[in-house]
Amino acid sequence: MLQLVVGQLLNGVIVGTLYAIIALGVTLTFGITGIVNFALGAFMMLGAYITWYLTDGIGVPYPLAVPLAVLCVALLGLAVDQALFRFTRNNLINGLIVSIGLISVLVAIVLMIWTTTPQSMHYVLPGIFRIGGVIVPKMKAVVFIVLLLVILLTYASLTRTWAGRAAYAYAQNPEAAALMGVRTGVLQAGVAAYSTALAGLGGALYASLYSIAPEIGASYILKGVEAAILAGIGSVVGSLVGGIIIGVAEGVGSIFLPSAYNDAYGLIFLVLILLFKPAGLFGSKS
Amino acid sequence: MKSYLLWLPLFLLPLVVHDNVVLTVLVFSFILGILAVSFNLIFGFAGQLSLFHAAAFGLSAYATYLSMVHWSIPFWLGLVVGVVFVALVSVVIGAICFRFKLKEFYFAIVTLAFSEIARLVILNWNSFTNGSLGINFTVTPTLWVPGRGVIPVQGTVMWYYLTLVAVVLTVIVCSRIVHSWMGRCFASIRLNDELADTLGINVFRYKLISFVVGNAGAAVAGSLYAFYISFIDPDYLSINQSLAIIAMALLGGRDSVAAPVVGAFVLTALPHVINVNAEARLLIYGLILILTILLMPRGIVGSLMRLRRAA
Repeated sequence: MLQLVVGQLLNGVIVGTLYAIIALGVTLTFGITGIVNFALGAFMMLGAYITWYLTDGIGVPYPLAVPLAVLCVALLGLAVDQALFRFTRNNLINGLIVSIGLISVLVAIVLMIWTTTPQSMHYVLPGIFRIGGVIVPKMKAVVFIVLLLVILLTYASLTRTWAGRAAYAYAQNPEAAALMGVRTGVLQAGVAAYSTALAGLGGALYASLYSIAPEIGASYILKGVEAAILAGIGSVVGSLVGGIIIGVAEGVGSIFLPSAYNDAYGLIFLVLILLFKPAGLFGSKS
Repeated sequence: MKSYLLWLPLFLLPLVVHDNVVLTVLVFSFILGILAVSFNLIFGFAGQLSLFHAAAFGLSAYATYLSMVHWSIPFWLGLVVGVVFVALVSVVIGAICFRFKLKEFYFAIVTLAFSEIARLVILNWNSFTNGSLGINFTVTPTLWVPGRGVIPVQGTVMWYYLTLVAVVLTVIVCSRIVHSWMGRCFASIRLNDELADTLGINVFRYKLISFVVGNAGAAVAGSLYAFYISFIDPDYLSINQSLAIIAMALLGGRDSVAAPVVGAFVLTALPHVINVNAEARLLIYGLILILTILLMPRGIVGSLMRLRRAA
């Protein structure tokens, strides 16, 4: 029993970092452009498909395919931001609807190229770690470490570099930031592209663990938004913690509670958080 | 009053057009029109983006059918059960959301969460709802027709008139609400609910009224839709259904009461006019959402009105 719980706990932490990378994109986009980009889930799905196509279709080695896929998704994210989201800045409802339309478009394109059949990539890194009776596949450990590093590096660059501080300043007071020489248009486009790149990375790593299908983005964006809200939207470390909380709650919860309602527990928790602590678990202002 | 005359040709249409496909498309447009018009009462007039609409639509379909089967009551009583059930659920959810002053994105997310919870319950309560397989209906609604007594509702023409009357009634009810003092309260809440509050408008009450009345409209649409196609499954409550409703309302135009019917008609007829596969339909549907928001924020009807005013 203990092994099962510990195993699910570890599994939850790893899946949680996948939620966290989406949550981070949601938080950054919301902080800088004032909209919630639901299409990040679709960008994640696209990242997964591009990675799968590059490795299994063309034969690019996986470590090279991941950055290539991330680059493709980031460029597409930038293009979409300039073509569509530029016109919905700070208009939450319009941004929401445009991002929803974008999901349909991206899913339809993937369906047209690769059909509805789920695809699975060959094993990139077979083998397992055995830690006192608990089994962790090597690839899962790698995915966890990469995602954790990216999230922590994002945090470090947001607090330590000029661009990062500019972003923080902009999130607090756009006009003052602009007066201090922050080029707001460039900043917004950059953050939007970076958020989609994060989602693409999540997808590229996801492809090495699970089979991929056009609809995987939907549940991940919901979990990502849940994680972002859970921790209080706008906090980088919060999205990591929020993602891990949801991942662990699902993993460990599935042992003790009927798993058919797995997705419902997170939703109920989310509703309670929004009602009683709208600024999130770690938010200070109410 | 003049705008009501626009409906008249629709009442005469089956006398001229006998093509089953055309009439069927119109029946679907009318039912989905009820859904879109009632959604727009919450979204376009009271300014709250609710994602609970598909859940209201589906819950009522299930409640109507299950109450008919379990209590052996006629369709129209079952419809009342469905509407009352949805109204009660909406009062609870609306009261929670508005008491805690959830706005914009947070309101959308919480209503989405409740909608998903409702779908999961329907999906997993196998003994009662038959889960993901859905239910094929074995009962048909009956209607009293002057001169012919109580007869079952079958055939496209009969459904055509039934749903046309239903959509006209929905539009009349909604426009009575919108053009009353209550509609002014909705507008003030939409434009600035804090200001509305300081002016002495009971923001909680009017938000709740719009939410409950809108969802009741969706409930009527849900029961009609389910009995028209004689089948229900948990997809009635899916997020995609909610999104389709938003698309209809936006495409028709969110500033006018009846405009969403136009949106419902265009989105229903489009796949029949240009014959494409499911993937291309999804693509077109997404493009319509994006382009409407960016290029035609007032929708088809709003843009036409502006053109006419300019000419």
